[in-house]
Amino acid sequence: MDEKLGESSSLCPECLKVIPAVKYAENDNVYLEKTCPEHGNYKVLIWRGVADYKSMKAYACVPSRPEKYAVTKEATCPVDCGLCKDHAQHTCLVVLEVTNDCNLKCPICFASANERYHFNPTMEQIRGMFQTTIDYVNHPICVQISGGEPTIRDDLPEIIKMGKEMGIDYIEVNTNAVRFSQDIDFLRKCKEAGMDSLYFSFDGLTSDVYMKTCGRDLLAAKLKAIENCREVEVGVTLVTVVSPDINIHQIGDIINFAKKNVPTVKGIHFQPLSYFGRFPIIPKDENRTVLPDLLKEIEKQTKGELRMDNFIPTSCTNVHCDVKSMSVIMEDGSLFPLTHRAMGPPKDTCCVATKTRKEISDLWRYIDESLGADGEEAKGSWDEFIQRARTNYLTISSMPFQDVWNVDTERLKGCCIHTVTPDGKLIPFCLFNINSVHGKTLYRHEILEKYAKWGSS
Amino acid sequence: MDAKFSAEAKDLMGKRGLKEADVADVVKTAETSNRKITTGKVNIAKKRIGEVTVYAKYDADGNVCNAYSHRMVLGEPVKTTDTPEITKWECVHCKEKAIAGTVNMTYMGITRSGPAIVCPKCGDSWVEEYLATKTIAAAEGLFEKKKA
Repeated sequence: MDEKLGESSSLCPECLKVIPAVKYAENDNVYLEKTCPEHGNYKVLIWRGVADYKSMKAYACVPSRPEKYAVTKEATCPVDCGLCKDHAQHTCLVVLEVTNDCNLKCPICFASANERYHFNPTMEQIRGMFQTTIDYVNHPICVQISGGEPTIRDDLPEIIKMGKEMGIDYIEVNTNAVRFSQDIDFLRKCKEAGMDSLYFSFDGLTSDVYMKTCGRDLLAAKLKAIENCREVEVGVTLVTVVSPDINIHQIGDIINFAKKNVPTVKGIHFQPLSYFGRFPIIPKDENRTVLPDLLKEIEKQTKGELRMDNFIPTSCTNVHCDVKSMSVIMEDGSLFPLTHRAMGPPKDTCCVATKTRKEISDLWRYIDESLGADGEEAKGSWDEFIQRARTNYLTISSMPFQDVWNVDTERLKGCCIHTVTPDGKLIPFCLFNINSVHGKTLYRHEILEKYAKWGSS
Repeated sequence: MDAKFSAEAKDLMGKRGLKEADVADVVKTAETSNRKITTGKVNIAKKRIGEVTVYAKYDADGNVCNAYSHRMVLGEPVKTTDTPEITKWECVHCKEKAIAGTVNMTYMGITRSGPAIVCPKCGDSWVEEYLATKTIAAAEGLFEKKKA
């Protein structure tokens, strides 16, 4: 150990017991280390670059605690979650699962979908989850409908419509897009019901990648679904699971693909493979893509068009949980980043999330007002640049989820992405999904099983 | 000449995050150096203060009726026509009628053009309020707001 960087608590990967953890620097890497009295010692790589790790702390937000808590008794983090008074951040995005069934059975799946039991909540139960969201989260309320695969439910448009009518401001659907590739009418119905965008899993541009991540060649289906989204005018965020063993070499190609498909594609979310749910191996450090690894690859594979410095924490969740960049795509197809660490952290880190949403929407309105009605901006002018920025921009972001090896309660307490449960709780997404090496979860299966049917569907 | 501020002007400056002392400094510097444009009744002056160019619009008695700012750095005028439109403004320093011109403006390493009032003799340029508070603000906002 070169330098101790912090103390926290974590979970034992064998028995899920809460155990003390220490974060420290060693050979310019940052590790989390913990010992279970029964199952021994675990040391996991969590960051590369000690100075970089420390510099992120300047982006830490002033915590904006949830206004109400479902758990009011004395609670131990993270085993009595729901949220409780120790939680340090309000909810930005609510993940609402409408099924755990799926039209695929991928070897990699955070939700362990399509196994053991069938969770298909009734419309009334889904109404209850929307209501929990409305009761505990401030506007604007953003919900991601997830699963399993939400599109296997024929009543998905009704679910979306119900959410919107109840007062949810923004609804995106997390999907493998297989049904949307085959059924454009269903896509249209979802849009007409109020679906705002798709969170669209897209792991690469060659068939072999999908053979590894999904167990079958889905490339043609993915491309067709994007075509359908273009036709129906549904915005898409590509979500790419990143593994050094599968597809890390395709990052540059995926960014180029996204650029060519703007404005249908609004952004790419790189999701380093987390070892929870269903995953192929017990991870060693070399199987992990920590955030700085991902950013180095982006810089390398875009030939410096996007640099590590263009990625900043959103300052909403814990500063070691995510990064984002925003760029305008210029006339020659190059990316012009609007985000840069040299600009420093936001001056006011209070209520960043709410402010960000409001400011961005104000900004677009402002831009609309500033542009002439004729849409004829002089070439090379700022007017033209703003016009481009409005339609030709790409957000690239990443959030490596925590698994049972690297989980850190300090990060969990700062989490702003929460799964809503049918029993009226909000639980940080990572925590909801974390499972032991034996497949036992603290929340996912324990809660959903109570509302599920067993046997074949 | 000292700048004077009406309650209305103070209110506007407050909304735009401008300091009274800075706007007064703009007026004072312009009156000393004669670097300003005028219609005879109204003057526009500007000064780079830190990272911001601050503008003051004021009358012959120093009554400030408008103030605004931008962070972009104004560069060279760009010639777009042989017959530029003459404006109502005169460059006091050069005693030359100013034209409605185009100027390069740089922000965060990117240079694009935009309309400005330009003195054809000294090449100095002044941005009008509508541009500073609309287009330029939007462009600056693209960079600044996305920090958070």
